[in-house]
Amino acid sequence: MRLRAALAATVGGALILAVGLARDANAEAVCTHDLRVLAQPRDGLTLLEKYKDEFKALSGASFDIDYLNENDRRAKSRADASTVGKYNVYYIDEANVALFAKSKWVAPLLDYYPKEYDFADFDPGRQKVATFDDVVYFAPLTGGGDLMVYRKDLLEKAGLKPPTTLDEFIAAVKKLHDPDHGVYGIALRGQRGSGANVWRWMPYFRGFGGKWFDGNKPVFDDEPAVKATQVYLDLFKYSPPGTKTGSWDESTGAFLSGQVALLIESTPLAGEAIDPKVSKVVGKVGYAPPPTPLTGGGYGHGLAIGAKGNKDDAAKKCAGLFIAWATSKENEKRRLDDGEFGELNRTSIIASDEFNQKFGADLGQALAETAKVTAVNFWQDPEWPNLGDHWGIELEELITGTRTDIKGSLDELNTYAKGLVANRK
Amino acid sequence: MKIRTHLPIVFTAPTMAVLAVLAFVPTVYAIDTALQNRELSNTDSAYVGFANFRALFSDPRFLNSVWVSVEWELITVVTTMAVAIPLAILMFEATSPKVRNALCVLFIVPVLLPRVSAAFVWRFAFHPLFGLAVYPLRLITGHPIDLLADPHTAMAAVAVVDVWQWGLLFAVIIVKLLETLPRQPLEAALLDHARTWEVYAYVALPMLRAALVSLVFVKMVESLRAFDLIYVMTRGGPGITTETLDMYAFSQGFIESGRISYASSMAVLMMIATTVAFTILWRRARRWQEV
Amino acid sequence: MARGVSRFAARVVIALAALSVIVPLLWTLLSGFKNRVDIVTPTPMLFFTPTLENFTYVLERESVRAGLVNSIIVSGCSVLIGAVLGLPCAYAVARYPMRFAHDIQFFVLSLRFLPPVAIAIPLIVIWLDVGLYDTRTALIVTYSLLTLATTIWLAIPAFKRVPAEIEEAAFVDGYGPYAIFFLIALPIAWKSLIGAIVFSFVLVWNEFLIALMLTTSDAKTLPVVASEMTQLGRDVPWGILNASVILLSLPPLLFLGVLSSFLSSALKTRNQG
Repeated sequence: MRLRAALAATVGGALILAVGLARDANAEAVCTHDLRVLAQPRDGLTLLEKYKDEFKALSGASFDIDYLNENDRRAKSRADASTVGKYNVYYIDEANVALFAKSKWVAPLLDYYPKEYDFADFDPGRQKVATFDDVVYFAPLTGGGDLMVYRKDLLEKAGLKPPTTLDEFIAAVKKLHDPDHGVYGIALRGQRGSGANVWRWMPYFRGFGGKWFDGNKPVFDDEPAVKATQVYLDLFKYSPPGTKTGSWDESTGAFLSGQVALLIESTPLAGEAIDPKVSKVVGKVGYAPPPTPLTGGGYGHGLAIGAKGNKDDAAKKCAGLFIAWATSKENEKRRLDDGEFGELNRTSIIASDEFNQKFGADLGQALAETAKVTAVNFWQDPEWPNLGDHWGIELEELITGTRTDIKGSLDELNTYAKGLVANRK
Repeated sequence: MKIRTHLPIVFTAPTMAVLAVLAFVPTVYAIDTALQNRELSNTDSAYVGFANFRALFSDPRFLNSVWVSVEWELITVVTTMAVAIPLAILMFEATSPKVRNALCVLFIVPVLLPRVSAAFVWRFAFHPLFGLAVYPLRLITGHPIDLLADPHTAMAAVAVVDVWQWGLLFAVIIVKLLETLPRQPLEAALLDHARTWEVYAYVALPMLRAALVSLVFVKMVESLRAFDLIYVMTRGGPGITTETLDMYAFSQGFIESGRISYASSMAVLMMIATTVAFTILWRRARRWQEV
Repeated sequence: MARGVSRFAARVVIALAALSVIVPLLWTLLSGFKNRVDIVTPTPMLFFTPTLENFTYVLERESVRAGLVNSIIVSGCSVLIGAVLGLPCAYAVARYPMRFAHDIQFFVLSLRFLPPVAIAIPLIVIWLDVGLYDTRTALIVTYSLLTLATTIWLAIPAFKRVPAEIEEAAFVDGYGPYAIFFLIALPIAWKSLIGAIVFSFVLVWNEFLIALMLTTSDAKTLPVVASEMTQLGRDVPWGILNASVILLSLPPLLFLGVLSSFLSSALKTRNQG
């Protein structure tokens, strides 16, 4: 009898304690329901999904990430942000910051980014790209500029030094092009898209002195654009099949499987080239900044708070907490440990000893040198995606041969650009 | 039945009412939206009359998409029948009934697959670097070929999937129809020293004319739904060589700039064109069948 | 002799056709069990160490589960509506001479002509304006149009095949017209009707374009989820893609037997009728 009473009291007491503790935990809950994130496939995000429990303990809710390829992600985030707002967090990139900010589809990030997560630690180049009109809109997940990545062994065998000018580069591409032995000179992007083929084309355009707009007047329909297109189309002859309608995956995939001699691509490639899980050319790779006069394409992708998806301040705080956690020092450290070179954005991580140990000193040096020639190659305007995508389609047609008139295509683009500016509201 | 009863009305009226609403409301909305300049990202829009329609006819990409759609219809309908009829005849002539029945079940499988699945299976098979279908070509020539990225072969490659699904199904249907034909006319023709292919060309197939016409008809309708295949395999590329009308309407309404009114004007044109075309064909087909 | 050779040639052609079905599908099935490194090789590998990782990944993803649930609910409900409203209507058209019989048949068939894009675009606007965009309700209502049209179109010939004598005999025995429908016509024609209903189920299950345009995250059906995976682009997870495609294709294939016999009986009686 007494034992039973004692047992009951213990159980009862334990229950009360448990409820009390649970109450305390819930008192911390910033989030009331699971977050929906729309993103592109990124190793860093896949890694993040393993730590859902950690986020749940931190905020009281979990998260679900939907992945889409770049073009679809852009289209869908635009559609969603402007209509129903089902997603709470959007993965956005430098090209559409202007549009999203101006249309008020995303909320200013720093209002909801908890101070302890140290936003100022991010690489200054990436912070700049995430800002529009002096307001920061996203926290970076990846970014950088361009690097010329080449096969040391192939260049040595042919007695070539790593090219420093465009003419040397083109000569090297032609010399090393040997498709009968499975080696192509270069790999370019052919797939339409302001972030796909146009992105690879712009260094040539800007390098030759091209400019997009002078105020509201389109001024790109000129010599530099024609020359850049001719050089690009010419180089495509030395690019592997599959790249004509391919983007980053196809060209870097070809390089990593050992089929390409030189290419100029975004900095994350450097990290992939030395990762034995994905690269067959580990130990044979060298890096340098892009040959003059090419500029490096400065870019950044990150997570932003959706305005329609988070109707009140509390919801925005929850989204802000998620973004901060996803881009926190701890999570970046996990990415560093996992060898995800392309997804490190914090200066504290990039300057750390572990980084140097893992990726080597010459990579660090190449990064520093390329930072000097990294520029903003695109037109920083809400209408950029429209203009860029339109040119991307024409460029794809030129590359695959269904169109041949370069000047004519540029003239068409010019008319389109004028229409865009005229329709501005 | 010669009784007076309310059954016909009770059974048909609600259903017809539902169908009418489901069919006409979108049509009216489509016309209404086509007359505006609405975009998905803006909430304000104004009525602009026929501006969208006028823009369509001076839009080279639109005209290209019409041409591509027509090309697609011709290629797939003709190829499907060209594959189905001979295959059916061969099956009828050269296999035992048991084998034939097994083949019939096998050949229905492709059409049951969701278009998206079929598109993926073949996209995987056509992959230049490790696709099974192009492997023999790669062995012979030593170079990988990318069928889906070459403007000359892209449409053919997508058409292969369409014919794979429908051609085989039609072969099954035609075989079964052949099985139900009365044997005498065919045997009489054989006794008259007609060769096998002549028997078919001049006796058997004409007896099936009505059914064959129906099949062509059905295929013409189904070819309009090629969107799934093109979306998964090429997205309308390379360039715009496989951009059919529905792919273009979709890009305008969704992928590119959310110009839903522009896309709507295309939808209206499609509705009119298909209704007119098929009313005419339906009447013709009925007349053929009644002969 | 010539006959023998041509018979042999014929069999070769048929065998090739059969292989064109078996090989790609088998290959996809095999690849579902391969690790990525075994797929991305220049020489296709027949022997490899299998893995269940792809299938577990696919089945564990929230989006796949949600897609599966959505597909089942949306397809099931719209097929049900199609059957409940469509079968009686088809019976009435088949059995009772009406002024509008031909017109109804034409109207119903014409609904099948419409390119899906043409219906989907105005529906986006409608559902957005009504606030039901990206909901299962919107999809069910939209698909009911398809299932109704298909069920009626296929059920009319099925009911016509029910021997009129049986119905008249029942009438003489005192059965009312509704009783004749429920107790006589339905049971006799049920095999073909099941075929018609299953056909409309497969149609809606496989439907992609309308689902793609009318959903964005909540109501995505399985074809949309599968296609999103196939379009990922980066580091394409071929093994996972093959696994998801297999998952997507299984339900329609389960009905292979039913549809095969439906097709046979429909064609046999067509030419005898």
